[in-house]
Amino acid sequence: MKKYIVAFLGLVLVLGTMGAAISVFFVTDTGGLGDKSFNDSAWAGVEMAAKKYNVTANVIQSYEQADYIPNLTAAAQVSDVVVAVGFMMQDALAKVAPQFPNTKFIFIDGVVKSPNVENFLFTEQEGAFLVGYLAAGMTKTGKVGFVGGIPIPPVLRYQYGYESGVETYNVLNGTNVQVLSGYVGSFDDPASGKSMTNSQFSEGSDIVFAAAGLSGLGTIEAAKDAGKGHFAIGVDQDQDYLAPGYVLTSAMKRVNIAVFDGIKSVVEGTFKGGTITLSLKDNGVGMSPMTYTKQLVPKTLLHQIDVLKKAIIDGSLVVPNTKEKFQAFQVPQIQF
Amino acid sequence: MVSRLKKFYMNDKIIVPVIAVVVSLFIAAIVMLLIGKNPFIAYGALIYGAFGTEGALINNIMKATPLILTGLAVGFGFRAGLFNIGANGQLIIGALLATYVGAHMSTFPFYLSIPLTLAVGMVGGALWAAIAGWLKVARGAHEVITTIMLNYVAVFIANFVVNGPFQAPGGVPKSPEIAYSARFPDLLTTGATWLSAGIFVALAAVAVVYVIIEKTKTGYEVKAVGLNPYAAEYGGISISKNTILAMAISGALAGLAGTMQVMGVYYRYLGSLGGGMGFDGITIALIGQNDPIGIAFAAFLISSIRTGSNQMQIAGVSKNIVIIIQGIIIFLVAANRLVKSLMFWKKGAEEA
Repeated sequence: MKKYIVAFLGLVLVLGTMGAAISVFFVTDTGGLGDKSFNDSAWAGVEMAAKKYNVTANVIQSYEQADYIPNLTAAAQVSDVVVAVGFMMQDALAKVAPQFPNTKFIFIDGVVKSPNVENFLFTEQEGAFLVGYLAAGMTKTGKVGFVGGIPIPPVLRYQYGYESGVETYNVLNGTNVQVLSGYVGSFDDPASGKSMTNSQFSEGSDIVFAAAGLSGLGTIEAAKDAGKGHFAIGVDQDQDYLAPGYVLTSAMKRVNIAVFDGIKSVVEGTFKGGTITLSLKDNGVGMSPMTYTKQLVPKTLLHQIDVLKKAIIDGSLVVPNTKEKFQAFQVPQIQF
Repeated sequence: MVSRLKKFYMNDKIIVPVIAVVVSLFIAAIVMLLIGKNPFIAYGALIYGAFGTEGALINNIMKATPLILTGLAVGFGFRAGLFNIGANGQLIIGALLATYVGAHMSTFPFYLSIPLTLAVGMVGGALWAAIAGWLKVARGAHEVITTIMLNYVAVFIANFVVNGPFQAPGGVPKSPEIAYSARFPDLLTTGATWLSAGIFVALAAVAVVYVIIEKTKTGYEVKAVGLNPYAAEYGGISISKNTILAMAISGALAGLAGTMQVMGVYYRYLGSLGGGMGFDGITIALIGQNDPIGIAFAAFLISSIRTGSNQMQIAGVSKNIVIIIQGIIIFLVAANRLVKSLMFWKKGAEEA
């Protein structure tokens, strides 16, 4: 009984400190905080909003998939805004959101149709296209790798964007760079990510792009272990700093901006249910500035990437985002 | 003195885990103080989050259900002298087969489709584990190695199946849903959480395993082989038969754990349904001292800590504290001699 009272007091304390501020709860996926990628980026967005507005930031990390429903429910009960990230949470959110019509949900990477859910999607393929083109231009062995987490739509967009970037390089430069692709089967298993990357290295690739959340940290480690001449390509955040000189670039997806914009819309009263897609044009996706590796890349290659970037932004180059579109993809003639 | 000693050893099974839990909570409280958190608020939130509301209790029970079964799977293996690290793989194969059969049950009435789906899930796990049992008997391959490797095989089979031939439309790694007639009925629903009847299956399994181990000839033989295989063989008990049988029973329990997730929680095979439940089973079997009833309590302990940890995070304490608590419990139970000597030391001090 005493402990119940303590628990109750604890809750009152938590609720009391919230005061008039808008309380935001961020529910991570199983990758959790510290993935240096997707979840960390979303949390950065929440903290950014907390600095700028009268917002309190809280986080609940999910241990396993079965935690999504209870964690979303618990968060919705005590907060004004719930930030949910990850396509894998879509089914759970679709069940929880309608139960709390007064709570606003910001959802990244999936779509839940409910008036209190604002969904954010990204055109991952556009950033991946650019890093794919770069990888194809930089490989010494004629083979590049792709390591995915779980083949869900956002990761597939990365994969086909990357593969079409490589293909575009091949067509425009008359080369035959090949892509080795594999899936780890989870977003929270760096050890498996590393072993898959190592096997791609041993099959002859020298640059591996990982779109695998926490698992992708294994790819970066593998590139570092393999030493000179091997590169990883990071994902979601600018991961170049994790192993300076061994991460060629990162395909960035500004989850932090999306989360920040979502919270901002609540603060400013412009929140409305629906779906917002962020693309290269809005600076929602892109390539990292290559802080440590830019001097390794030939000037002409950087120039070509700039031209392609403009072509994507003005719509003259549409990057495929599914397997079907990739198979039907015709590389347009581009003059550099 | 002698009777007191005897009494102490008889309660050994209970006293070691209980002390381990208390000590680990105490150590975790010190850790929390060191990082500037109030342990009373944290534990208050933990208890509130595990038992405080109807939803919390439902979540707790739902989490405990598969853990009881993987705990039993590993515990039964231990009793037979087998270290089954492959509960995860057996769970996946069981769940996968149960999903496949369950999805084709729409024309069957529930009183046929539920037992049939359950049986298929168990047989799937049993056969997968029996491979490791057979390899041990026929080739002398140690089950730790073979079951770990079979885990990988199972994971990759499942990934392939739900990304290809048996994938629901929508580009997500998940199978189609199972038929309504093959689902466990919901006993209670609050918000987006529900209590499935799976817990009764898990509790029934506790009773059945208890009876098998303690009251049947099979249980006696399996235990005898586990304790001393050559002595057992000298006594006319077949090592090969009992090794394979023990692995199969262990695997059937793990398969049943996966089947529970399919029939009562997800209603389909989801990408990473297995999670780490097979490995949690090792923890739980250790805490439960390989005793079916102890395992049921240990599973509830772990599920309570985990369910409560979500509320604890709302109170601002990281989920990693829970992992620390769990780690210390395991450490103390595994090092139970340490706990015992602590007990004697305390007793000695009282008498002095």
